[in-house]
Amino acid sequence: MATASVYKGAGFDFSNEVRNTFLSERGIPLPKATSTGTTIVGCLFKDGIILGADTRATEGPIVADKNCEKIHFITDNIRCCGAGTAADTEFTTALISSNMELHALSTGRKPRVVTAMTMLKQMLFRLVPQPTHYHRPPSSIAPFPYRYQGHIGAALVLGGVDATGPQLFTIHPHGSTDKLPYVTMGSGSLAAMAVFEAKWQPNMEVRIPHAHPLPTYAHSPPPPPQRAEALDLVCAAISAGIFNDLGSGSNVDACVITASHTEMLRNLVKPNERVQKERSYQFRRGTTAIKKESIRSLIVDEDVTSITGEAMDIS
Amino acid sequence: MNSFLTRYSSTSPDADIRKAKELYGEDEEVSEMMWGSAGGFGNLAKGVPSFKIPAVADPSSFLRMHTDDHADPSCRIKIKHGTTTLAFRYKGGVIVAVDSRATAGSYVASGTVKKVIEINPYLLGTMAGGAADCQYWETYLGIQCRLHELRNRERISVAAASKYLSNLVYSYKGMGLSMGTMICGWDKTGPAIFYVDSDGSRLKGDLFSVGSGSTFAYGVLDQGYKWDLTDEEAHELGRRSIYAAGHRDAFSGNTVNLYHVQQDGWKFIGNYDVSELHYNGPGDNVPGAPGGGYGYDIRVEGRSSSNAPA
Amino acid sequence: MSDRIYLGLPGLATDVTTLKEVFRYRVNMYTIKEEREIEPETFAHLVSSTLYEKRFGPYFIEPVMAGLEKTPSGAYKPFIAATDLIGCLNFAKDFVVAGTASTKLYGVAEGLWEPDLEPEDLFETCAQTLLNAVDRDAYSGWGAEVHLITKDKVIKRTLKGRMD
Repeated sequence: MATASVYKGAGFDFSNEVRNTFLSERGIPLPKATSTGTTIVGCLFKDGIILGADTRATEGPIVADKNCEKIHFITDNIRCCGAGTAADTEFTTALISSNMELHALSTGRKPRVVTAMTMLKQMLFRLVPQPTHYHRPPSSIAPFPYRYQGHIGAALVLGGVDATGPQLFTIHPHGSTDKLPYVTMGSGSLAAMAVFEAKWQPNMEVRIPHAHPLPTYAHSPPPPPQRAEALDLVCAAISAGIFNDLGSGSNVDACVITASHTEMLRNLVKPNERVQKERSYQFRRGTTAIKKESIRSLIVDEDVTSITGEAMDIS
Repeated sequence: MNSFLTRYSSTSPDADIRKAKELYGEDEEVSEMMWGSAGGFGNLAKGVPSFKIPAVADPSSFLRMHTDDHADPSCRIKIKHGTTTLAFRYKGGVIVAVDSRATAGSYVASGTVKKVIEINPYLLGTMAGGAADCQYWETYLGIQCRLHELRNRERISVAAASKYLSNLVYSYKGMGLSMGTMICGWDKTGPAIFYVDSDGSRLKGDLFSVGSGSTFAYGVLDQGYKWDLTDEEAHELGRRSIYAAGHRDAFSGNTVNLYHVQQDGWKFIGNYDVSELHYNGPGDNVPGAPGGGYGYDIRVEGRSSSNAPA
Repeated sequence: MSDRIYLGLPGLATDVTTLKEVFRYRVNMYTIKEEREIEPETFAHLVSSTLYEKRFGPYFIEPVMAGLEKTPSGAYKPFIAATDLIGCLNFAKDFVVAGTASTKLYGVAEGLWEPDLEPEDLFETCAQTLLNAVDRDAYSGWGAEVHLITKDKVIKRTLKGRMD
């Protein structure tokens, strides 16, 4: 019974697997999952970390979401950019976020980035005990761990500032990790890395563009190279992905994390804003032929009818 | 006549070309048949047009690999499929009715396809399967029919025309041609229909329907068919059958094209929108039509508890 | 799903029925436990996590949701969302589409949609988008239905669509 699953244990449910394999064999293909082709980057600067992401989500050749959020919350001082299967990045980061909160509460300390990184890599490589109700792979022995080994398609850039200072990691779907001063991931990673390789330098400063106008790379030339500032550099790297990689597009999101505070800069640059349509495409009312119409009112009408009669005996 | 026989005694196009070369001489590239434009029909001097074949070991499986969406749903080139066509013979001639939808996968590529190919004023061909294959070879058949008229001072019989096409497609058997066609016309013997397909079948008959919606069309056609139909009844039967297929088959629909072949050649009867037929029928006071929409929900409107009037 | 939440479920018919029941059950449980009606956004997350539970054996379904959110001031705000088959949420500001005709719907909707339409104008835009996209899709059609959800009434209209 389908409803029974509500109270079962945690973890994935494989009950449709056999059926879906059968359907696939019969030539009914699985609908495509949303994925984020994506350019995501992160880099160290003088006082902390900056993460950057584009905002395009794709479904095969279709742009499914033109302004999605790819910088996920882990803790106050840690954020994580996700590329790959969109649902996987969403749920993996959400799970780690709550585990980090629990971890922080139980240890009573401010959470560290390495902790999140270790949780993520172990989750992706992974070691959940084999679900007993599900058929085991023939090669595995009874208590053997079940490994995701890349089946959860999450490629992540994890960054934050903790007691040990600014930390920046990449985590691949198979569970391997890197610790580098500047990183890129996703389909636009090459374009973004080219920018970093050319312009990143240690101890850059951040310049948060509070005052308008925002820097727009579509129109203005890049900042002078002798003093490349961290946020501009992240913007330039993401813009390189947006304009040169088909899997990435739309706007630039960024997140600046320093020891004292974290600032999420949603839609920092919008180089692909859609212009007002030149004319309205409204239809004249009554264009569409209607066969049937039914109206359900959501306003609850209450009539209080007083019934005059003998008063109730309450003695 | 002897050369005609030798030309068709073999089934391979290469052999045909070889024989044509023997007949016309290797060097005689410009024959009297080449005066006019070949119109894309290859070198007509050599009898049967021949195609450039991809330089791979097995050209037909190469083609299939890239086009057959049954074997590989993600294939890059989708050939247009899905159709309903029908033709039947009755005392007043031949009725030919077809739908007009062309689909590529789930995409409705066109809703205004002409699936009846007017070979000449006395011959019609229908189109099912590969649109390009049908169009090309039936137009080519038209050329050959005209040449037959010039050579023999009489119109080609439907039997001969269909056999010409059948032999031709058979010589390309297994190479990926996809056609299911009905050659309809009127000759000395009266009205005639031949079903010809790319497997090489050629069948003479009174009543055929071809395509993905043919089962639905047969349902209506078989139920309403008789030899002694009046012209109006016959038109209505053709129209109603294609409507049924358009309604029930996902890959057929949009409009119905209706033709009538009589002793003096074919006549285009009309183009009818399937949706219009569903809601309103073929129009007011159309002889043979019962009046009102064909749709069952339209016919029973207000008469069943589950279908109250709008 | 409730007076102010509507759910479209294009996909495998068996999963449509199963999920309809699952969601009905879970929404009812929510209502009983929380003693209030579920908000559209909460419902969207419910849909999302239900689908992600079956990450490696997914339902063949691509839900679309529409409803009215209650703002803190007590007014209602339109809400739409869609997810893919494993529950990746897409909270769009303009439109969401799904199903076999989704590619066609994207195109038509991108052309016809405009912001701040009045309910009746939105109905026309929505109905025309649907009808025209569906006419280009072999697997969809045979009529259409539009629910116009406003703060005080829900109008369900059955459209006269092509029947082929």
